[in-house]
Amino acid sequence: MDSRLLFLLILLPLTGGVFNACFGCRLPRALVALLAIGAIVGSFGVTLLCWPLAAEGTQVTLFTWLASAGLKADIGLFFDPLAATMTLMVTGVASLIHIYAAGYMEHEEDQARFFALLNLFVCAMLCIILADNLLLLFLGWEGVGVCSYGLIGFWYAKSENALAGRKAFIVTRIGDLFFTIALLWLFSLLGTVNIAEINQRATELDPVLLTPLVLLLLGGACGKSAQFPLMTWLPDAMAGPTPVSALIHAATMVTAGVYLLCRLFPLVSLSATGMAVIAAVGALTALYAASCAVAQREIKRVLAYSTMSQIGYMFLAVGVGSVAAAIDHLLVHAFFKALLFMGAGALIHLAGGENDIYKMGGLKQKSPLLFWLFLIGILCLAGAPLSGGFFSMAAIVFAAFTRGDGFLACLWGIGVFTAGLTSFYSFRLLYLVFFGSYRGKKTAHRLSPLLIWTLPPLALFGLFGGLFNLPHFYGGHELLGAWLGSTPAKELPLVTELGLLVLMSLFFVAGWLPAHLLYRNFEVEAESSWRRFLLQGWRFDALYEWLVLRPYRFTARFCFIAGDKGLIDGVVEGLGRTLLHWGGYMRQLATGQLSFYLQGFAWGLLLMVGWLLLKAVV
Amino acid sequence: MNPVALTDFPFLSLVLWLPLAGTLLCLLLRHSPGACRWLSLLTTLAVLLLCVWLFIELPHAAGWLLQEDQPWIPSFGIRYSLSLDGISLLLVTLTALLQVGAVLISWKQRQHPALFYALVLVMETGIIGVFLATDLILFYLFWELMLIPMLFLIGIWGHGNRVYAALKFFFFTLAGSLFMLLALISLYLIHGEQTGVYSFALEALKNTSLTPTTEMLLYLGFMLAFVVKVPLFPFHTWLPDAHTEAPAAGSVDLAGLLLKTGIYGMIRFAFPFFPHAAQQSLPFLAILALIGIFYAAWIAYVQTDIKRVIAYSSVSHMGFVILGLSAWNQLAWEGSLLLMIGHGVTTGALFIMIAMLQDRTGSRDLRVLGGMWKSLPFFSAFFLLFSLASLGLPGLANFAGEILVLLGSFTRFPLLAAFAVAGVVFSAAYMLRLVQGVLWGPLGQLCKIGDKDCLHADLDRREWLLLIPLALLVVWLGLYPAPVLAPLSGPISLLLKGGGLP
Repeated sequence: MDSRLLFLLILLPLTGGVFNACFGCRLPRALVALLAIGAIVGSFGVTLLCWPLAAEGTQVTLFTWLASAGLKADIGLFFDPLAATMTLMVTGVASLIHIYAAGYMEHEEDQARFFALLNLFVCAMLCIILADNLLLLFLGWEGVGVCSYGLIGFWYAKSENALAGRKAFIVTRIGDLFFTIALLWLFSLLGTVNIAEINQRATELDPVLLTPLVLLLLGGACGKSAQFPLMTWLPDAMAGPTPVSALIHAATMVTAGVYLLCRLFPLVSLSATGMAVIAAVGALTALYAASCAVAQREIKRVLAYSTMSQIGYMFLAVGVGSVAAAIDHLLVHAFFKALLFMGAGALIHLAGGENDIYKMGGLKQKSPLLFWLFLIGILCLAGAPLSGGFFSMAAIVFAAFTRGDGFLACLWGIGVFTAGLTSFYSFRLLYLVFFGSYRGKKTAHRLSPLLIWTLPPLALFGLFGGLFNLPHFYGGHELLGAWLGSTPAKELPLVTELGLLVLMSLFFVAGWLPAHLLYRNFEVEAESSWRRFLLQGWRFDALYEWLVLRPYRFTARFCFIAGDKGLIDGVVEGLGRTLLHWGGYMRQLATGQLSFYLQGFAWGLLLMVGWLLLKAVV
Repeated sequence: MNPVALTDFPFLSLVLWLPLAGTLLCLLLRHSPGACRWLSLLTTLAVLLLCVWLFIELPHAAGWLLQEDQPWIPSFGIRYSLSLDGISLLLVTLTALLQVGAVLISWKQRQHPALFYALVLVMETGIIGVFLATDLILFYLFWELMLIPMLFLIGIWGHGNRVYAALKFFFFTLAGSLFMLLALISLYLIHGEQTGVYSFALEALKNTSLTPTTEMLLYLGFMLAFVVKVPLFPFHTWLPDAHTEAPAAGSVDLAGLLLKTGIYGMIRFAFPFFPHAAQQSLPFLAILALIGIFYAAWIAYVQTDIKRVIAYSSVSHMGFVILGLSAWNQLAWEGSLLLMIGHGVTTGALFIMIAMLQDRTGSRDLRVLGGMWKSLPFFSAFFLLFSLASLGLPGLANFAGEILVLLGSFTRFPLLAAFAVAGVVFSAAYMLRLVQGVLWGPLGQLCKIGDKDCLHADLDRREWLLLIPLALLVVWLGLYPAPVLAPLSGPISLLLKGGGLP
């Protein structure tokens, strides 16, 4: 097979996006959507076709992008098992979401802009996944940022939406700053930006430098993946249309950070401190986000926080050294979270555009099918025993447990506790939306069949996704782990393993039970300052406003008024005024009287003669 | 075609004097504005075509590609000598390109059109002359020649506070250039005393031996003229005022071209003449550049006039260029020059778009604009593209240069380069604020009270014609800069070696 076929993966969405951007507004609506869907489905087909190329790891180059003294960055792709797995997930989920979006956006204006951005987004995401060098990866990295910016602010007429997009772009760019520094540093140390080469030669690096390098990479990953402390943009990003949230802020872009750390794992794993920090950031974000999700009222914000929390688990997995567990959870999460978001979009339609879960309720009667599909998503998210989410989450918790020093044991504890919280807020969401009686006032919109029938495949993959990487313990073969070429998980004694399973199940029940009691027949909830604190995400926004934004604006104004206007222009204009002043004095000499001028002439002559005489004498 | 055959014909003089010929014709035809318009468009197009043809035909060699040399004022050793290498070739081509844009954007000029176009064409001769002259007196002549048309463009056709801005611009740059004049005459005299040959030629003066103090003094004299033009912090305050008040064509020329003459002067004259002084000054240059990157980006964030935002962004970008120069290696220098080209195109395009916006809404105030995407979707799409290019989005023009600068300077000044990366976040902050103020949000106040028709006029044919090539160029420079880097690498390695670094 011609390996250049791989370029179709990127070129198809690129062409679709560029074509829709240029000519979409002159085409009929259906054709625009069809083109966009066709491009992504085509890309999915090419992934399947090219699958055999992945086993060996195939490298292809289209042309040299930037080359100058020692630097060579190609538009080149590297298709290995890790990249292939991600590509398949991204193109697959994106295909379904594109189809869903065709239904969801049926009555919106500006379809061409929407689908162009969506296609370009997939193109940029595939760039991240397939890039063979860090610069091309960075191109995709910023590309997804821009598309996300455009899509969050898709309904730009409301300033909040556009502001949310801008916040997302700038906060993630703060992360990118660290990533860029890491890139510069790696290039100056190793003289290359090629990922495979960096991984190969990582051992040459001075161990002292490894930890800061890994921390810088982690900073980049934190921005894109909305991890502590750069997580504040994700909940606001829910201002975008729901298909966007499903695609970008659940399944693909936000996992780019995890992917980056996995891609550079040979380098990352060399720094023990770096790994510990990665694990800690993951565990803390998982706990933080889960606690916030407990109090949210908007359906999409609950899901946004849950995404943040689940990605925290993936970071934890990377931090404890299990790439397979991280990627397994990434895949399963992508399926069930896309399912939940798309389900949420349908629910919002059903509730007449209402997104406050306190004003929903009783929707089970309106669409039983949607209930069952959503239930599958919730079970996966909550980690119900034997669902896909259960296996992938358990793998992470096991991995943390087996590494077992005191620090990791702590993180393991946080992970298990957070699993309980997750179960609680998942069922809170389910009960509030589907059970009890309808508390809203708005009437339901008609549901396009596309909004329902794109969900079952996702439900299927979510539910059985755990089978990809089923541990030997259950009679599985850790297929994904073997495919990715990672070392199989350590075998634990049977008792420990059973004990951990029972513990996980107990925490699941411990989360479900209070939710069942509290929210099954929900009427109203009392306001409390504690709940408001969680609702506002521990008030991190206010903290950053106070710590970062205000000083930033103050300095800006200070530089302008005191620096440019005051000091520099003051000096310059002052100089001008002084000269004018002197000029004024000089002007007084021009009296116009002949006698005055002759006097001056005589004095001058005297001075010159005196000077000459003095020189002659001395 | 054979490059030797090229030299038989005075292509450089043709490129240089063609615009001036256009000027004279313009003044003759001053009673029919239509003819002047077409004449200046045809002249600039002819220059552009000639440049593009040279760009394609000339080989990528390290030394001079074309040279012309005639005695001019023999008694002082002043010669009419023009030379072109890869660097000047690119900059002359950029000049020719932006000048076409400047003419097209001033198509509807009503006030004294003939004089306006004549001045724009004089400026083209001045700028091209700066990029070609290799005799110091000739260089100085063109250096000052650029000033005069710009003074009148701002002073006559400018907006509100135009006289203040024009004078500020004039005095800032003139003050700088006078020091250069002093320094270059001193250099000429010293060289003449040493060798007995009095000459202003670049190649001859390079070999003057100077005591460290003299070298430093003369170097500072030259550099003062150049850093004011760039402009480097803290000599930049003329730029925002000049930009804001200048007419569209003036802003395009200022940002796209005039700033580049400062950088060009450094690498062509100041560094080769005074290599030791230059080496000593590099850390200071780097620090000033870094301060400029942040300081200007910071100030850009609180401006309410769109042109001021872009003006300060230019100061910030030029900081990156100087940072690259001060790193003194191949990678960073190629990046600096690439960034200069990229910045010329994107900023030129942004000023062109601002002129279109002002045509339609009569305002450049971010507080009253907004929601333009609704009424002007095509305009807005282009505006977004150029803004993203300006904030350094990978795959578009500025990024390629910026990342080379950063990669190159990290090896020499790791800490400064790391800080400079943060400047990229700042540029995102002010550019997105600009985009938000113009494109997003509810339709601005202004549009509600203004007459509605002005807002429902998306791009016309002339504007499409102007923007599409610029947009393609921005993408091309970002994705495949190799054709631009190829003619640069040879001359840069020569300059770096000639600059006296061990």
